Amino acid sequence: MEHDLILARSVTYAQRMQSALMRAGIRCGVFRAPRELTERGCAYVVKVAAYDLAPALTVLYGASLQPLQIFHFSEGRYQEVRRDLF
Amino acid sequence: MIYFDSAATTLQKPESVAKAMQSALRTMSSPGRGGHPAAMRAANVAFQCRSELGELFHVTDPERVVFTMNATHALNLAIKTLVPPGGKVVISGYEHNAVTRPLEALGAHVTVAEAPLFQADAVAEAFRHCISDDTCAVICNHVSNVFGFVQPLEEIAAACRERGVPLIVDASQSAGILPLDMEKLDAAFIAMPGHKGLYGPQGTGVLLCGKEQEVRPLLEGGTGSLSAMQQMPDFLPDRLEAGTHNMPGIAGLLAGVRYVRQRGVDRICRRERYLAHLMAEKLRGVPGVQVFASENLRQQAGVLSIVPEKADVEALGEELGRRGIAVRAGLHCAPLAHRSAGTLKTGTVRLSFSDFNTSEEVLRAAAEVRNCLRR
Repeated sequence: MEHDLILARSVTYAQRMQSALMRAGIRCGVFRAPRELTERGCAYVVKVAAYDLAPALTVLYGASLQPLQIFHFSEGRYQEVRRDLF
Repeated sequence: MIYFDSAATTLQKPESVAKAMQSALRTMSSPGRGGHPAAMRAANVAFQCRSELGELFHVTDPERVVFTMNATHALNLAIKTLVPPGGKVVISGYEHNAVTRPLEALGAHVTVAEAPLFQADAVAEAFRHCISDDTCAVICNHVSNVFGFVQPLEEIAAACRERGVPLIVDASQSAGILPLDMEKLDAAFIAMPGHKGLYGPQGTGVLLCGKEQEVRPLLEGGTGSLSAMQQMPDFLPDRLEAGTHNMPGIAGLLAGVRYVRQRGVDRICRRERYLAHLMAEKLRGVPGVQVFASENLRQQAGVLSIVPEKADVEALGEELGRRGIAVRAGLHCAPLAHRSAGTLKTGTVRLSFSDFNTSEEVLRAAAEVRNCLRR
């Protein structure tokens, strides 16, 4: 299923993101980041439905929460999303 | 037993604390160490605890709430971040060894803002006088662990802001008991135990970190983040939390914090102050006892000290213990405070209260002090 992963620097940061998104009514979850996405080692991601990415980023930027990277999952693989698109 | 040693550790805890700890032991592993349910449960409890501590102490960002082993650990982190070897530091005359020993180890140049006990205006003035442009840090406890003296924290914080000097607050005797606002004080760090006024278990402490505050770790190791790198992460709380977390402790602390928030800090404060004043009033009527307590309610928290004129403080403490009253005698790891108050030679017997004490207990203890000294 298509979804997006918002990469956070730590589990606590991912939880802050999750908390902000939940408050805004955006469904999401915190998960371990796939190893292939984290060259600097262990990290966590906030997973959102693909159709929620744009409002999710609006909420996060509004709360001064900065994703490290954003990945789109489709057809069995991840592709980095250019942040300047949002 | 009547327990009047809450300035060391609150013994009576809300039932929810033990329950939360037991549940954590059975169901939680370690936050940031996996994505399985046991790890995520731990992560959620740790985050909730940071968030609720943040709300209690006005820290907007839960990442700036760092878990430590105790207040001493938190103070060491703060002090060793801000004070270089030989650096100039101003402290109050009522500090604990948790402040003075790290400073001694650093070879810091320490100036004591000396002022008489229970004279808040004099304390504030002494700080204003001692702080200079080359002061690396000001360190002050909110409440003296020996005398319950509430120090003029807001005035001291204002003096620090005026001179651009970072402030470290030791809130060991005030966290959960007196209102404490990190944002308003604009402190660099506030250190506190989890096991006193927050009703968490021993082995828990908290360091609140100010905005944009760079921090120096005392320990390096695994953090569950940036694992491929050999440097500690440069972000909080991971930078200061190497190694596996004390999850039963953090779960218990969260339950304690919830108790405090539910009861209300103001209500707990009123109760402890009432008990301290009642005790002081009763003990002032006991011949041969010198009572160290302020008549001014605002200057006294739920801690007070006494000195028997014709008995050794340790002997009185031991005798009270035999009679079922737990108090603390001696120097309370705060020789500087005793020096400032003139009790270094004798030490004191300290009586300290929690939200679980009653006025009946105070009356019985005061009567037992009288009986002990009559013998």
